[in-house]
Amino acid sequence: MFRSEALLDMPIQFRGSIQGEALDNMVSASRSADFEQLALPLLQSLYNHAFWLARNHAEAEDLVQETFSKALRAFDSFQADTNFKGWIFRILRNTFLTSRSGIATSRTIFLEDHPDALDTTDSGPTPEDNLIRLDNQAALQRALEQLEPPLREALLLCDVEEVKYRDIALILDIPIGTVMSRISRARRALRQLLQPQLGESQ
Amino acid sequence: MTQAIEHLTSDTLSAFIDGELPDSEQEAIQQHLAGCHTCALRALSARELKAATARAGRRFAPPPETLARLTAQLHREPRGRARIHSIRRVAWASLAAAMLLALSLIGWRQLHETNTLAAELLDQHLATLSSAATPQVISTDRHTVKPWFQGRLPFSFNLPDAQALPPDTTLKGADLTYLKGQPAALLLFTIHKHEVSVFLTQRFGGPSVPALPSTRSGFTIHSATTQDLRIVAVSDVNPSDLDALVATLVRAQSPS
Repeated sequence: MFRSEALLDMPIQFRGSIQGEALDNMVSASRSADFEQLALPLLQSLYNHAFWLARNHAEAEDLVQETFSKALRAFDSFQADTNFKGWIFRILRNTFLTSRSGIATSRTIFLEDHPDALDTTDSGPTPEDNLIRLDNQAALQRALEQLEPPLREALLLCDVEEVKYRDIALILDIPIGTVMSRISRARRALRQLLQPQLGESQ
Repeated sequence: MTQAIEHLTSDTLSAFIDGELPDSEQEAIQQHLAGCHTCALRALSARELKAATARAGRRFAPPPETLARLTAQLHREPRGRARIHSIRRVAWASLAAAMLLALSLIGWRQLHETNTLAAELLDQHLATLSSAATPQVISTDRHTVKPWFQGRLPFSFNLPDAQALPPDTTLKGADLTYLKGQPAALLLFTIHKHEVSVFLTQRFGGPSVPALPSTRSGFTIHSATTQDLRIVAVSDVNPSDLDALVATLVRAQSPS
């Protein structure tokens, strides 16, 4: 189960009634500015990631908008010494999961998390480990599009957003070992998808 | 040479290039790579794929109207209960927000450009490491290397004498290459057996190069400019040796 709502239901910190509303407003205003300062530089990244999840502009915008809204409301539960990027990407993902296309996506059962269902016991090089030509951006983009969404999601967080495995585990709500195997599997799948291009271009 | 080596699993290799393994394990793998050509090539190829994925995955930018709406939302979003602001406070806040937005967008753009360029440099350097790649000119002699570029590049440059190079530094060859679509001279050196790629481009009219990160994926990137040239060196050699080489190349450009 995803705990998106739990995150937002954290009680807003009690600020004491003696100082009254003036202080409350000051605190809110400065927290709000803090939030803006943290969130603004991530806007492009969040949008890019939202688009990869939703696959269209209108929905990507809605997702980011809702993410900002939720994140700002829950900002009191965010601890300054934790990773803001991981935190807000997690909200983005949970927002996506409760959206219409997110619900549709989650109906597809993804099998990889069973250790013996697949050849996770691989040892050593496979034919796909050969050097592949990566100068064809279009081919790589097509390959990325063909990846199974759970694999692509983990890989993009790792390679594009440069999020550490530990934080990816929190964002996706999966164990860190699963993060590692999803990323590895995503890369093997990309290699397989890029193989035919090698033949065509030569 | 065919000893029964336990090759690295894909999962381990993948976590290794992401720098996600504990230090002790990371070191053990370095040692394995030093002795296992197959796995060394796989690691190289995995790094290239990672860099290419980073570029291909950074793909969807918000249309301008969306960007405007989302940034507006960020500094307008009411928080908790409704508050009454004085006009002046709102004006100051929005001015500050507008400046912050402008700065962060410039920052993002530069970061993005820097990252793509750094990735491109690293890719090219990694490509020269693969055993299959031989430079177009194989020569340690500057009098062979320099004339080869004539007519191939829209600019020229000087190469230092072999004796003028820092100790244990040798020129191995050269290649013509492209950086961000602009022609560049790629000089291949070795310093203490570490491969070094040096890219020379025109400073003006060439690709505009924002400040580059000094390291990327464990490689050092150093750059310098002369009156007409931009020199960027990429290697895994220690940074001070790389600096010495770049400094020698810079000196060679100034007429003595």
